[in-house]
Amino acid sequence: MIACLTIPGLELKAALRRTPSLALRPAALAPEPQGEPLLGPVTAAAEAAGVRAGMRLGEGLATCPSLALVEPDAAGAELAWEEILHALEDAGFAVDPASLGVVYFETLGVERLYGGLEPALRRALAAVGIEWDARIGAAGRRFAALAAASVARPGQVVVVADEELPQFLAPLPLTLLPLERGRYEELEALGVRKLGQLAGLPGGAVAERLGPDGRRAWGLARGGVAARVRGRRPPVHVAASFEFPEAVGNELTLRRALAGLVETALARPERRDRFVRKVALAARLESGGSWRRTLTLREPSADSDRIRVALSPRLAELPAPVTEIRLELVELTEPTGQQLDLLAAGAEDRSRLRDGLRQVRASTGSGSVCTVVEVAPWSRVPESRALLVPKDE
Amino acid sequence: MVARAGESRAARTEGRVVARFNAPRAARVEANANGTPLEVNHRPVGLVREEWRVVDRWWTEEPIVRRYFELVLESGENTVVFHDGSSGGWYTQRGA
Repeated sequence: MIACLTIPGLELKAALRRTPSLALRPAALAPEPQGEPLLGPVTAAAEAAGVRAGMRLGEGLATCPSLALVEPDAAGAELAWEEILHALEDAGFAVDPASLGVVYFETLGVERLYGGLEPALRRALAAVGIEWDARIGAAGRRFAALAAASVARPGQVVVVADEELPQFLAPLPLTLLPLERGRYEELEALGVRKLGQLAGLPGGAVAERLGPDGRRAWGLARGGVAARVRGRRPPVHVAASFEFPEAVGNELTLRRALAGLVETALARPERRDRFVRKVALAARLESGGSWRRTLTLREPSADSDRIRVALSPRLAELPAPVTEIRLELVELTEPTGQQLDLLAAGAEDRSRLRDGLRQVRASTGSGSVCTVVEVAPWSRVPESRALLVPKDE
Repeated sequence: MVARAGESRAARTEGRVVARFNAPRAARVEANANGTPLEVNHRPVGLVREEWRVVDRWWTEEPIVRRYFELVLESGENTVVFHDGSSGGWYTQRGA
């Protein structure tokens, strides 16, 4: 079974930890400083007053004049999410996080440990804790597990057996599908509002009308493909932070602080001989919120100048003066990742190729690098001759 | 319809789900009364270089009946399209 644990509105819950009294009042996550003026997740009281996530700010305030806006805390949410993933890993679950607040894991390995499927899923909920209102859906396929989690109440586990899958998915809304907003409207105009209605259409017709995205959505509406969940490689935690005595907005000062942080982080003993593949720069803003950006380097490096130059342009994106700046080395290479062979020239090329592929994977995610494997080269049907197999290592 | 068969079977290698290489992609094709393509994705056909049929897997529940056309578009691009006898849809395909 594949389980999907979701925490709707994780960003809001993380931001509300600083002002817990707002949790019971109409409140919504404020729009990103440089983004569209759209509200983020909302509290139950705000929802009861008619405010919805994704609503325009002006409309939200007109609907509920007492609506309180909570400053986004992107770094806090990332940190909280990482703590949740760690808690799950400590409980024995090999997690595959899909996005902030959505994580998948296989239950097969832990069912025996905890005495069955439901006890294992209860253990996962207990590991996360009750304050996050986590819920779990479990099914034979990833999308079905996500759909099951979407109908579960906080703290509830919903398990869908394979034979019940079509009946379970049929009445669910199309918004579960990863489609662009315009596509939902297009489908609704055609009278298709539920997954079951989409699944009942001929696949060829859906592909012709909606293209490859629509075809993929149609496949998901029928349950999706059976894919195994691969647990992530737990990230390393090498970080350095600097707290300013007072809020700083001067770019020169920030650049100097960043240069110091890069040197400090690279000198940390946990890094040892490893090169840096991916970094994150976070800041605590004067207004109380936070800001975070991640960056995958073009090639792994332990050169402080190179990392500093790559990160410096991000400082210009800071929306407000900051009181604290933090640098995290999110992903490092293996200790021998950059070791060159003395004699075999070909080995160096292979090593560089392997490392380049790891870099692409770090940038675009697991499964993005594939290899072509011939399975029936004699077949008269072209797509039966070879398969694309994810090349994860 | 092979694309559907490809999904439902969820080809696996070493326990991992894989995708088919050169899988057909849906195309918008205008054809004449004989079924010969005149336009592929709104681009006019300049020349039909070859035409052939593939009938396979007739012993399964998902038989393949395809009429392939190797075309040269007026833009000079070569392409291969086929008409699927089961679904009635048109597809482009590489590697044919």
